[in-house]
Amino acid sequence: MSHQTNNPRYGFLIDASYCIDCRSCMVACSVENEVPMDSTRIWIEETGVTGTYPDLKRFTAPFHCMHCKDPSCVSACTVSALTRNEDGIVVYDQDLCIGCRYCLYACPFSVPNYQWEEPLPLVIKCDMCFERLGEGQQPACAATCPTGAIQFGRYEEMLAEAHRKISEQPDKYVPHVYGEEENGGTATLYISPVPFEELGFPIAGTTSPAYSNRLVTEGTPMVAGMMLVGLTGAYLTIKHLKEESEQEREESAHGASSDAAKKEE
Amino acid sequence: MRKLLHELETMPKFMYVTAALTLFGVGVGLYRMLVGLGPTTNLTSAFPWGIWISFDLATVALSGGAFTLAALVYVFQFEDLHAATRPTVLAGLLGYSSVMVILLFDLGRWDRFYNVFLHPNISSALLEVSWCISAYTLILIYELSPVLLANTRLKFLLPFIKKYTVPIVIAGVTLSTMHQSSLGTMFIIMSPRLHPLWSSMLLPIFFLVSSFAAGISLVIGGASLSNWLFGRSLKIKTMAKLSWFIPWILAFYLVIKFGELVITEEWDLLFSSGTYSAMFWTEIVLGVLVPIVLFSIKQVRFSRTWSLIGALFVMGGAVLNRFNVTWFAIAGVDGETYSPHWMEIAVLVGVVAGVVTVYSVIARYFPVYEETETSHSKDEQPRPLEQSHAVGD
Repeated sequence: MSHQTNNPRYGFLIDASYCIDCRSCMVACSVENEVPMDSTRIWIEETGVTGTYPDLKRFTAPFHCMHCKDPSCVSACTVSALTRNEDGIVVYDQDLCIGCRYCLYACPFSVPNYQWEEPLPLVIKCDMCFERLGEGQQPACAATCPTGAIQFGRYEEMLAEAHRKISEQPDKYVPHVYGEEENGGTATLYISPVPFEELGFPIAGTTSPAYSNRLVTEGTPMVAGMMLVGLTGAYLTIKHLKEESEQEREESAHGASSDAAKKEE
Repeated sequence: MRKLLHELETMPKFMYVTAALTLFGVGVGLYRMLVGLGPTTNLTSAFPWGIWISFDLATVALSGGAFTLAALVYVFQFEDLHAATRPTVLAGLLGYSSVMVILLFDLGRWDRFYNVFLHPNISSALLEVSWCISAYTLILIYELSPVLLANTRLKFLLPFIKKYTVPIVIAGVTLSTMHQSSLGTMFIIMSPRLHPLWSSMLLPIFFLVSSFAAGISLVIGGASLSNWLFGRSLKIKTMAKLSWFIPWILAFYLVIKFGELVITEEWDLLFSSGTYSAMFWTEIVLGVLVPIVLFSIKQVRFSRTWSLIGALFVMGGAVLNRFNVTWFAIAGVDGETYSPHWMEIAVLVGVVAGVVTVYSVIARYFPVYEETETSHSKDEQPRPLEQSHAVGD
């Protein structure tokens, strides 16, 4: 079956060297989506304090949904509450969600969060402020970021910008654009002066497990068909063989008794 | 009414305890629905599934006997195993019912569970599981209906039910194969979180094959227990015939399990991953190797006690395997771990106790066991129902 894993229309470029841990993005997210600060769709990953005094360093970077090209959550979602729209944004339909929480486990970046304290909870996940995009605005976090750590624009431009920055300042950045290939490619891209695992970013493979998953799940109807035909065939064959051997036994028994009868004669 | 009271008095004493536990567990479950998952469970965004899911997977594996036996008896026509189908189908039905009850407590939005049917996502393994389990539960009810209807006014339906048994069984076996394997498929997408000793593209096959062995073992174990509790059981010959399959199934399992580790070049993890290696070997040695040896011995297959012991090893191994895949071998985010809240356990205990209660009542009043061993029944009350030869046979 065909599956769209085309490049997304929009992308983020997040530069960890610019992030000053001011958390304005979290406040903006909280206001925009009307959620309390402890359940925003964006949070801060950090290296912790490294180095020896007086050369102390600490790097931070905001983290939110990566908007994968082939999102595991979308493949996992039982009821299609999570979908990837035509702009490549992974959106959540809160009216469909049944709360199975499979997406929380399936996401290799551990992005989806959950309203654990609500009696009837929903999933908490970044939707790239797609309503703001429709009005020609940037997502709240990117619009708010005072240092330009969160850039937002066309995906191809963001990717080119990431590579341009790295090639212009190879001493400043690690030579890796996180998100270019992670989990099959994502709309959120990162560049950083420290290796990404030090920032606490998960080390994701270059193919999305959603692909392996589909290999199996989309073959299911075929396997079911094979089983139905195979089992019916097995049933009829065994039944036939049994009847045949029964018949033979009867015939030979009949033959034997008639032989016996002949001898008696 | 007096008759009912008298019946209650003659119930085995353990049933008062199980009934009380059921009431308490269901009470806690209702409380959880009222206040949400946060206050009543230890689930977090790092560990969104807990002991309930582990229990569900273990229970479905143990209930695998119903489709294994249905396939053996109706499709492959091992007619001498027929007597084992009824208790197995009953155990299966109760197993699946308890899974559905637990799932309803587990579901965040239990108020719209029906979206599973209205808005399906066909690439979701969990969708496959929920569809197959729902459909298969209906089929189990169909398969059990001859037992429940045998002595009622609806008896006239029996010839009709019997007529469609084979096609229904074939559909049931197909559905079971699908969901037993899909439960394994569910963890393919979670490969970044699951330890490589368990994570595999072959998980659906592992789950399917181990459910054959676990299911048959539950039948054998259940028949032995029922012999002691109610004096009703299967003939030892039927049990021995069933347990004969176990070493073959488990040996097959062993080959694919280790074969996969060799092919993916992960076999070095067998000794290098500390606790994980230990858990893996516990599962393999106690749950697979020991029962292969035990059930290869004829004297074991023909002894109720030894069969029960062997069956317990197989079931223990399968349960440990499902707990490993759903819980122990799952990496938490930022080193977070999970252990269940007491309310999670109370709900589980309640549902299990409910299953034991219902099974005991049905095994006592309905003709579940067609072959009865009468040796142990001297000091028991006379049975309310005589063994009937239901039309559905």
